[in-house]
Amino acid sequence: MAADAPVPAETAQTATTHSAPRRLVLDILNDWVTTVDHKKIGLMYIGYALVFLVVAGIQALLMRIQLSLPNNDFVSPQAFNSLFTMHGTTMVFFVGMPILFGFGNYLVPLMIGARDMAFPRLNAFSFWISAFGGILLYFSYFGASGLYGAGSAPDVGWFAYAPLTARVFSPGHSTDYWTLAILLSGIGSIGTALNIVATTICMRCPGMKLSRMPLLVWLYLVTSSLVFVAVSPLTAAQIMLMLDRYIGSHFFDTQAGGSAVLWMHFFWIFGHPEVYILILPAFAFANEIIPVFSRKAIFGYAAMVAASVGIGFISLSVWAHHMFTVGLGAGANTFFVLATMIISVPTGIKLFNWLATLWGGKIHFTASMMFAIGFLFQFLIAGLTGVMLSIAPFDWQLGNSYFVVAHFHYVLVGGILFMIFSAFYYWFPKMSGKMLSEKLGKWHFWIFLIGFHLTFDFMHVPGMLGMPRRIYTYEADRGWMIWNMIISSGAIFQAAGTLLFVYNMIWSYFKGPVAGPDPWDAWTLEWSTPSPPPAYNFAEIPSVASRRPLWDLKHPEDPDSNYE
Amino acid sequence: MHTDPDHLDPNVIQLPRPTAWPMILALGVSLILAGMVTSVAVAILGLGLCLASIIGWFRQVLPHEAHEPVPLEDAAIAPTSARTLLPQTKEPAAPHRVETFQLATGIRGGLAGGLAMIVPATIFSLLKFHSLWYATNLLAAGGFVSWGGASDAFLCQFHLQGLLAAIFIHGLTALLVGLLYGAVLPMFPRYPILSAGVIAPLLLTGILHSVLNVLSPLLNQRIDWFWFILSQIAFGLVCGYVVNLQTRLRSAEFQALPFAVRAGLHGNHGPNSIDKKDSSR
Amino acid sequence: MSEAAVIPNVTTPEWELPSRGVVGMVCLIVAEAAIFTIFVVAYLYYVGKDRSGPTPREVLDLPIFTSVCLLSSSLTVHFAVAALHQARRGLCSLWLAATVLLGGIFLGGTAHEWYKLIVHDGLTIQTNLFGTTFYSLVGLHASHVIIGLIMLSLALIFSLNGSMTAKHTGRLEVLSLYWHFVDAVWVVVFTVVYILGR
Repeated sequence: MAADAPVPAETAQTATTHSAPRRLVLDILNDWVTTVDHKKIGLMYIGYALVFLVVAGIQALLMRIQLSLPNNDFVSPQAFNSLFTMHGTTMVFFVGMPILFGFGNYLVPLMIGARDMAFPRLNAFSFWISAFGGILLYFSYFGASGLYGAGSAPDVGWFAYAPLTARVFSPGHSTDYWTLAILLSGIGSIGTALNIVATTICMRCPGMKLSRMPLLVWLYLVTSSLVFVAVSPLTAAQIMLMLDRYIGSHFFDTQAGGSAVLWMHFFWIFGHPEVYILILPAFAFANEIIPVFSRKAIFGYAAMVAASVGIGFISLSVWAHHMFTVGLGAGANTFFVLATMIISVPTGIKLFNWLATLWGGKIHFTASMMFAIGFLFQFLIAGLTGVMLSIAPFDWQLGNSYFVVAHFHYVLVGGILFMIFSAFYYWFPKMSGKMLSEKLGKWHFWIFLIGFHLTFDFMHVPGMLGMPRRIYTYEADRGWMIWNMIISSGAIFQAAGTLLFVYNMIWSYFKGPVAGPDPWDAWTLEWSTPSPPPAYNFAEIPSVASRRPLWDLKHPEDPDSNYE
Repeated sequence: MHTDPDHLDPNVIQLPRPTAWPMILALGVSLILAGMVTSVAVAILGLGLCLASIIGWFRQVLPHEAHEPVPLEDAAIAPTSARTLLPQTKEPAAPHRVETFQLATGIRGGLAGGLAMIVPATIFSLLKFHSLWYATNLLAAGGFVSWGGASDAFLCQFHLQGLLAAIFIHGLTALLVGLLYGAVLPMFPRYPILSAGVIAPLLLTGILHSVLNVLSPLLNQRIDWFWFILSQIAFGLVCGYVVNLQTRLRSAEFQALPFAVRAGLHGNHGPNSIDKKDSSR
Repeated sequence: MSEAAVIPNVTTPEWELPSRGVVGMVCLIVAEAAIFTIFVVAYLYYVGKDRSGPTPREVLDLPIFTSVCLLSSSLTVHFAVAALHQARRGLCSLWLAATVLLGGIFLGGTAHEWYKLIVHDGLTIQTNLFGTTFYSLVGLHASHVIIGLIMLSLALIFSLNGSMTAKHTGRLEVLSLYWHFVDAVWVVVFTVVYILGR
C-alpha cells in the first residue's frame, strides 16, 4: 500500500520487499490472495463492497430515471424487475454486510490489542466465499438460463415471496442464481461472525475486561451473535427453496398444501434482525467517533452496552411487522406491534446517550463528525417513521407503498451510509497513512445531505398519495409526477457526492497529507500503532487498565483507571 | 496467541503463514453451487478443488499451525496529546446543591391535582347533563363492559359500583401522573408550572385523543374535549403548585449543572463527571 | 517500540481467556441449532396437513436400537477425550473406534429405514408434505452425522499412527463437542418426528 510510509516504521508490506523495491504485479496479487492478515482481509472486504456499492447505486439511478416521468419507457418492465431485485439484494448482502464486516475485521483485533483474528484462515475463507457469491449473482446477467438468455438476472424481488419463486412461475435459472449467491454469502457471514465472536472473547489483551472493551467491539459482538440466529434461518430457508426447485419437494408449493406464508416467516425471521445487524455497526462507529470529536468520554457506557444487548434480543421478536398485511390475527398483530414499539426504547436510550456525550463537549466539526451528526438527526426521523409503521392499522394503509421505501432508505442511507462515510473519514488515516481532504469531505457532506433529503424526505409523499413500491411506471394524472421528479433530482446530487468521495479517497491516497499514528488525538488502542499498522499490529502486546487506554498514556497525571 | 513457544528471537514475531487454500476452498464450494446453474463439469471441477484444498488446509494446521516469522521494525510510538489538562481541584470546595424531590412529593401533588380535576368535571356534568354523577359514571364505564351501550339517563343516575370504580381509576391515574411529574420536573427548572402544568396536559390529551377509542369506546363517543382539557390543565396547575411548595426553587447553581445531573442520571457523581471531561479548553 | 501501549504500573495478575476452539465450536453450534430449528418448525407446521398418504403413523417405526447406539456414542467419545488427556493413546483409539462403530450403526439404521420407506411404502420427498419435511429434517441430521463420522475416522487414523498426542486433547475436545451436538439434535428430531409427529 503506502510506498512512503508516514512514520519511521516501515509497513509490513514494504518490510517484506527489502531486497526488491518494485515488485511484479503478480507478486502483489499473490500477496493479497494468500493473505490471512485481518487488516488486508478487512480492506478487501471494504474494497469489494465499494465496487458493489457503485454497481447497485447505478441500478438505483436507472430506476430513478425510469420513474422520474410518467409513462416512461427508459427501461423495459422486465429489466425494471431485475433492477430492483438486484439493487436490494446487492445492497444488503454484498454492500452492507461486507463493508461492516470489513471494518470489523480491521478494527476489532486492533482495538482489543490482538495480533490477528482467532481463526485467520477461516477469515480468508469467509471473505472469498462471500466475494464469489457476489460474482455468481452478477454472472446471472450472462449465464442465467444457460448462456442463451443473456440478461435474465433474478427478478423476484429481494425477499422473493413464494409462490413467485416456484419453478412454474420462475422458469430458467434466474432464481437459482439468487438462492445460491445468498447461500454463499450466508456461509461467509456466519464464518466471519464466528471469527469476530471468538476473537472478542478469546484474544483480548491483558486487562481488557469485557467491561473495558471499546463500545465498537461490544456492538460487533452483539451483531455477530445476531448473525448466527438470523442468517442461519435464511440459509435453512434457501436450502428448502432449492429442494423445492430442484427435486420437487413441497415446502412452499401451495398447490400441494405448502405454505407461502411460511416463507414470509422464514425470510423475515432473518430479514428484520438483518436490519439490526446492519445498523448496530453504524451505532458502533458513532460510539467511537462522537466522543473523540466531542472531547469527552462516552456518556453512559453501561447503559449503551445494555441497550445494545437489549436491541439484539428484542430484534428477534419483531419480524412479523413486515407481514401485517397478510392478516395474522389480532393476537399476533398485537404482539408484534408491541414488540416493535418496545425496541424503540433501547434505541432511544442510545440516542440520548449520544446527545449527552455531545452536551457540554468541545465539539470539533470535522467531516467525520458532520456525517455523525447528520446520522443522529436522520436516524431519529427514520426511527419515528418506523414507530408509525409499527402500528398495524397504519401499516395496512401504507404497507408496500413508497412510504415504506422512504422509511427503510432513511434507515439504510440516512443512518447506516452516513455513519459509514463518517467511519471512512475517521479511519482512512489509520488504514492508508494519509488524511482525507477535509475540504472535499465537507463538500461531500453538504452535497450528499442535500441529495439525501431531496430524495428521501419527498419520497414519503407519493407513498401517502398511494404510490405502491415496485411499480414500473404510472399515469400522468395520479399527482405523483412532481414528487418523483424531485426524488430523482435528489439522486443526482447523491451520485455527485459519492463521486466526490471516491475522488477524495484516490487523491488523498496519493497526495494527501501524512496522517501519523494518531491524527485525532483519540483514545483506543488502534491509534497506538503506526499508520498503517504493521502486519503484527503490536510489537508488544499492550495491557490496559481502563476503557480509554490512550488517555491513560497521554495523561498519566489523571488516568481513567482512577475513576472506573 | 500465535507465538511459537519454542521461538525466542525477540526481533521476530510469529504470524500465521499466508496460504491460498482457504481461497481455493471457497472457489471450490462456489463452483459446486455454480455447477447447479451451469453444467456438471463446473461442479466436478469445484469438487476437485474442494478436496485438494481441504487436504492442503489440513496440512497447514496439523499437526502444528504454520507460522511465518515477521521481522520487528523498531519504532517507538509514544502516544501524546497536544492538549493538556487544566489543574483541577480533586474535591470541590463546596459541593453543588443538587435538589431532587422525594417520591412522596409526587404522590402528594398527584392526589391534590386529582382532587382539583374533580371540580371542572363536576361543573361539566352539572352544566351539560344536570347531574352530579355523569362524569363519574363515564369514567367508570371504562371498567365495565356491560355499560358499553348505556344511555345518558342511566349515566346520570348514582351507582355505587360506578363511584368506586371511578375513584379507583381516577386515583391510580392521578398517582401515576403525579409521580411522573415529580420525576420530570427537575429537568425543566425554568418555568415548571408552564411546562408541566400546561404543555404536559395538552400532550397527554393529544395521546389520549388518539388511543381512547381503543381504551374506552364509550368515553370516546361522549367525551367533551374542551372540558376534558380544562380539567387536565386544572390537574397540571394544582399538581405543579403543590410539588413546588414542597421544595425551595432550584438555585442558579443547580440550573448551571449539566443536563444529565439535573435529570438525576448521575446522582452524586456530579462533580466528578464534570472534571472527567477532557478539560482542554 | 518497547512500551508502545503498555500502561505503566499496571499489574494484571492472571489473564486467562477461554479457548478459541471451544468458543468457535459453540458459535457454530448456535448457528447450526438455528438451522435445525427452522427445519423442525417446518416439520411441526406441516405435520398432519397432508391430504394424501402415507402418513407418519402408517409408515414410521421407532428406531430405538439405532438411537441408543447414537446416544451412547456420546459417552464413548467423552471417554476417548479423557483417555487422551491422560496420554493413554491406545485406550483413546479404542474408544474412538467404538464411537465410529456406533455412529456407523446409526447411519446404517437410517439408510435401512429410508430404503424401506422409498421401496416398500413409496414415500419420497415428492410424495407429500410429510415426505418433504421428513427427508429434509432427517437428511440434514444424517449429513451432520456423516461429517462427524469423517472427522472422527480421521482422528482415529491419527490416533492409530501415533501422530495424535496429549497435546491435541483440546482439538479432540472441540470435535467431541460437535458430536455431542449431533446427538442432542437427534433427541429433538426423535421426539418431534417419532413421538409427537406420529
